[in-house]
Amino acid sequence: MRVRWPPPSYPLAGLIALVAVLPVVVLVTLVGDAPDPFSPYNLKVLLNTVVLMALTVLGSVLIGVPLALLTAYVEVPWRRVWLVALAAPLALPSYIGAFTFYAAFGPGGEIETLTGLSTPSLDGMFGAALVMALYTYPFVLLTTRASLCSLDASQVNAARTLGLSLPMSLWRVVLPRVRNGIAAGALLAAMYALSDFGTPAIMRLDTFTRVIFVEYNAFGLSQAAMLSLQLLSIVGLVLYLESRVKTPHELPGRSLSIWPSRRQSVALFAAVAPIVLLAIALPLAVFGIWLWRDGAEGFELAYAWNSAYAALLAALVAVVLAVPVAHAAMSGRAGRLMERLTYLGFGVPGIVMGTALVYLGLKLPLLYQTLALLVLAYVLRFLPLAVGAVRSTSERIDPKLVNAARTLGASRGEAFRRITLPLTLRGIVAGGALVFLEVMRELPATLLLGPTGYETLATYLWRVYEAGYFGRAAVPGLLLILISALGLVLMLSGEARGGRSVLEDNRR
Amino acid sequence: MRRRQFLQTLAAGGVVGALPAGLNTVFAADASEAVSVEDLPPIEGELTLYLGRGEGGLYERVLDAIRKRNPKLELGVRRGPTAALANAIVAEGRANVRRADLFWAVDSGAIGVVEEAGLARDLPADISAQLKLGFRYEAWAPVTGRIRTLPYNPTRLSAEQVPDDVMALADSSLKVGWAPAYASFQSFVTAMRLDRGDQATRDWLKGVKRHAKSYAGELGVVMGVERGEVDLGFANHYYTLRLKAGKPDANVALAFTNNDAGCLVNASGILALGENPAAVTFIRYLLTREVQSYLAEEAYEIPLVDGVAMPQGLPPLASVQPPKIDLTQLADLRPTLDLMRDAGVL
Repeated sequence: MRVRWPPPSYPLAGLIALVAVLPVVVLVTLVGDAPDPFSPYNLKVLLNTVVLMALTVLGSVLIGVPLALLTAYVEVPWRRVWLVALAAPLALPSYIGAFTFYAAFGPGGEIETLTGLSTPSLDGMFGAALVMALYTYPFVLLTTRASLCSLDASQVNAARTLGLSLPMSLWRVVLPRVRNGIAAGALLAAMYALSDFGTPAIMRLDTFTRVIFVEYNAFGLSQAAMLSLQLLSIVGLVLYLESRVKTPHELPGRSLSIWPSRRQSVALFAAVAPIVLLAIALPLAVFGIWLWRDGAEGFELAYAWNSAYAALLAALVAVVLAVPVAHAAMSGRAGRLMERLTYLGFGVPGIVMGTALVYLGLKLPLLYQTLALLVLAYVLRFLPLAVGAVRSTSERIDPKLVNAARTLGASRGEAFRRITLPLTLRGIVAGGALVFLEVMRELPATLLLGPTGYETLATYLWRVYEAGYFGRAAVPGLLLILISALGLVLMLSGEARGGRSVLEDNRR
Repeated sequence: MRRRQFLQTLAAGGVVGALPAGLNTVFAADASEAVSVEDLPPIEGELTLYLGRGEGGLYERVLDAIRKRNPKLELGVRRGPTAALANAIVAEGRANVRRADLFWAVDSGAIGVVEEAGLARDLPADISAQLKLGFRYEAWAPVTGRIRTLPYNPTRLSAEQVPDDVMALADSSLKVGWAPAYASFQSFVTAMRLDRGDQATRDWLKGVKRHAKSYAGELGVVMGVERGEVDLGFANHYYTLRLKAGKPDANVALAFTNNDAGCLVNASGILALGENPAAVTFIRYLLTREVQSYLAEEAYEIPLVDGVAMPQGLPPLASVQPPKIDLTQLADLRPTLDLMRDAGVL
């Protein structure tokens, strides 16, 4: 297909990329006297950072991909509940997860105190990677599942007819075709591992973010900015590697359904339960113990509404902006670059990014510390989550469909509206869900840019955690997960409606 | 005085019972009485406070009580990590946008950053006169103090085995827990640097490092001591007291060194930005005996005005001599970080 140049999405995508990269530009202006970046000590830190990132990606793919297959194809009872529960770890701030893991395991930990069973201490590289993987696998789960759902099952059926077993046909026929979905999720997990501070700090692992955080807290903003920019060189490398993952175009079709026996369902449940237990039930149980010990007070339900409202707005805006960026990414090299640029901010540690956004927000004094600007800040920070999910599904659309529509007289806009958009809906929903969940747990930008006195579940959690009143974290922690689950249900019901009308296939 | 009574006192204007003033012999400069909220005028109008600390309800109760007592006050509060708020205030100052009237910071270093940017206004002299000697500054007011302590595990060693000289810990065989990335610890190292010089401090860091275990924060240090992961640790006093408040049989006790950086008294502080007169009155409220004794009893912080009792659980400090150090000098963290990196502990 010959397209006119520039592709129609370029101007808009270019503008969005420009705005998204502004906080990084602010960081450049904040850099003052540069410290020696790669002393022997920093090299050790660099190694830790890269190893942690690699292990996190490995863990999140090992957990996320099987779960994506399960939630996309296997017709177990209560399938949506499974999906919601499995995606929920994304709603819990990882520092909360890491802290409860640390408190639960080891000699004198809560597990030993309660049951008398002695457990090994959880810290260092292993502890950090485990916690990171448990709180990032939903990235892989959601992006992979979105790709899986638009995959035509006929090839699998052919493979099985020719004698390939189900696991082998999943491995050889299905997974290679959703490499880009897996890679999109793995990229997000990698960038999360690079920029998160809480987990490595609590697990006592020296990573780049910790060095940045030490500088930041010692009032070395310029040094922190400098180090954050250095961190971006790793981010750039990861972005490049991910962009090398390509899958051929193919037609979407009726997706695979696997009907397990009752016994198999129970076995699957038993296999999945430990993940949910570890990632969600364990932190909540530990907080529950502390709640019982300390008592709760000072919590207001309005915090929950504030969280949900802002997260919903941000998710909506982010997916609207993500569509042209994803479209541009598929239209050519320049568009690809624009798309990659929007990712940069996601690899910068939150507190440094928060401060950069303050500088940016102050350019619009009228909007400074209003809800509108806060939502904008969320969008700038989490746009890549939506872009990645939308792109990985859009790449699967056959351009012939659009051509056919055009031949039949549809305008460019109509073809987009009636062909491309509905086919991308799963990706849009997955992207919106990712942004929603991530905003729910976002902290630094909320603290610095929200309207004065604007308290969300995440800020309240932070407040009581900082003060050491852990019991009071139980109620907001539970609510955070509950609302995230509700948000997911809402979005998934939208996905179900859209999916049916496009694929002329009633899955029920 | 318990919580409810505090609220009644501050909000409805009850009379506070006589407070024992004998415990804080170290700081007692003169025997003047602390100001009561009864003596203060009401605060009116809008006031925005940047609160550099998450305090799970305790500071909140102070703010609520002040709100209740001053119905015409519209108090907006922004909470955040101290360094992040200090950076935001500096950014606002550069952009000529002023949103904060007051900055209440957990760390005197953050106060130094804002002060250095020329954004803090001088306070009336009678405010600093209410504070204990050694805690009187022109452009900011310390609110409460915290003392550096050595929390130790009494099941692993006895009180006599804890040295009273912090420098002696470099050569001891005790397993030590510390949190080098933690701001309070860095302030402590800065104090040691000012007290003993760079070389001695570097040697000390290298010495302790050989038998030390690092934690993310000082609450972690205290929990590590309690769990027996280490024999003793370095931490601000209130983490131990709060842990014991929730778990009275916790295996942790407090020891103090004598007249060195190991028992440094640092302070949280508040400063006023801009000309809003209500801001100064607000600062006066924080220095009343009602607020000070509430923070001492409920948050275990050390009151810094005269005539208010020390928090429960801190032993009589008659034998402890904190070093005399200008707190604003502690904001000079850059050389400390370099030194700590050089010694390989950061």
